Amino acid sequence: MNEGPEDLRQWRLPRGRHGLPRELVERSQRERLLAAVVRVTVANGYEKTTVGDILGEAGVGRESFYELFDDKLDCMLAAHKVLVDSLVERVREGYLTEGPWPQRVKNALEMTLEWLASDPDVPRFLLIEMSTIGPPFRPIFQAEYARFVELFDEGRDASAPAPELSRASNLAVGAAWAKIYEEVLRGRVGELPSLLPEITYGLLVPFLGEAEARAVASAA
Amino acid sequence: MQKHRGFETAASVLRPTTPMDIGQQAQRQRILDAMIESCAEKTFTATTITDVVARARISRTTFYKHFEDKRACFDAALIYCVETLHETAGSAHDPDDSPADATRGATTAVVEALAQRPGLAQLLSGDAIAVEPRVIEQFRKATIPALEALWSSNGDQVETYTDPRLAFGQAQVLILNQIATGEAKQLPDLLPELVYLAVCPFGGHEAALEQSRLARKDGVSSPAR
Repeated sequence: MNEGPEDLRQWRLPRGRHGLPRELVERSQRERLLAAVVRVTVANGYEKTTVGDILGEAGVGRESFYELFDDKLDCMLAAHKVLVDSLVERVREGYLTEGPWPQRVKNALEMTLEWLASDPDVPRFLLIEMSTIGPPFRPIFQAEYARFVELFDEGRDASAPAPELSRASNLAVGAAWAKIYEEVLRGRVGELPSLLPEITYGLLVPFLGEAEARAVASAA
Repeated sequence: MQKHRGFETAASVLRPTTPMDIGQQAQRQRILDAMIESCAEKTFTATTITDVVARARISRTTFYKHFEDKRACFDAALIYCVETLHETAGSAHDPDDSPADATRGATTAVVEALAQRPGLAQLLSGDAIAVEPRVIEQFRKATIPALEALWSSNGDQVETYTDPRLAFGQAQVLILNQIATGEAKQLPDLLPELVYLAVCPFGGHEAALEQSRLARKDGVSSPAR
């Protein structure tokens, strides 16, 4: 599917004896499989994707696949976890720092949008393909959402106003989620960073009211 | 008492007055209900026509008389959900309610209807997103102008404080999350937030908070669910 410089098969290890330790071989295979499952499910849809498609994209043999994963879903969930962990790290970096709370919210959002925009397949995979896996999606969605709400609360210090709504943090995460989802669905992943002022405003209004939220959103 | 019996002929007296397709309509509705409940329980992806047929207690042949395939049935179920909720919202407020009160009334009625039938909420906030995102777009396209109309006295465009499309998405995420916890019956717990989201775009933050407070009070004073 992908020829040229982004061909995952370029990372294949040479055939025959190479004397590399087993962990390293498995790591290389695992990395290629995770990258491949994202590409292939985004291109074909989860239901139509076969393990064979993933193997072809990754340049990994069937036996090695089943040593690492139970099935296509297991592989997909592993890729999901790696990606969300990385995104959470990114958000923490922008959010749990010094400075006034509204500005830190904006920084975290900016980092999120840039992280997502860097690879168009990733947001499609996380938001759209994941939702088609059937029953396992619900607990995963819930856990992921709870994780971001928790992180949002973790960064609320004395400079953060106490909102009147008891689920204001839920609303805040929902604002980012909903807006990003909509843009991804429309195939406008590249434009995600340009939504920063709009999402910042929508997210902060329940905490600050319109005037203050607008000031933070439109500040350079 | 029946009216206009004067011009009847012998033939028309014996002509059935119940609609000819009443049986088919009932069957179709049973199939839709079965699809909704099955999706709520195990999602659209995992639902089979066998599940739907068994739940609806009809034959496979009957299923195919009404719908071409699982997907066509799902789409019809979605349309049914959207229409049901719009009817609920439309009949939930008085003409002399203030726009903010009317918005709160309509939101409360919809959320309570969703709590009564969690399958509707599941379908609209979970499966519809995965299977047919365009339906959500249609739902949103119908919902926002309906809310907007409550705030416009003469059909003019209403100025907005925040983006109603974003508020709709936020409400959806909130509901999806509540359902993912398996607590769809507790959806009315979200009313303070959902009323806030419904009012804020058109009435602004302060008016939205005020309605949210009222919604919280309504929730406390209403009999235990």
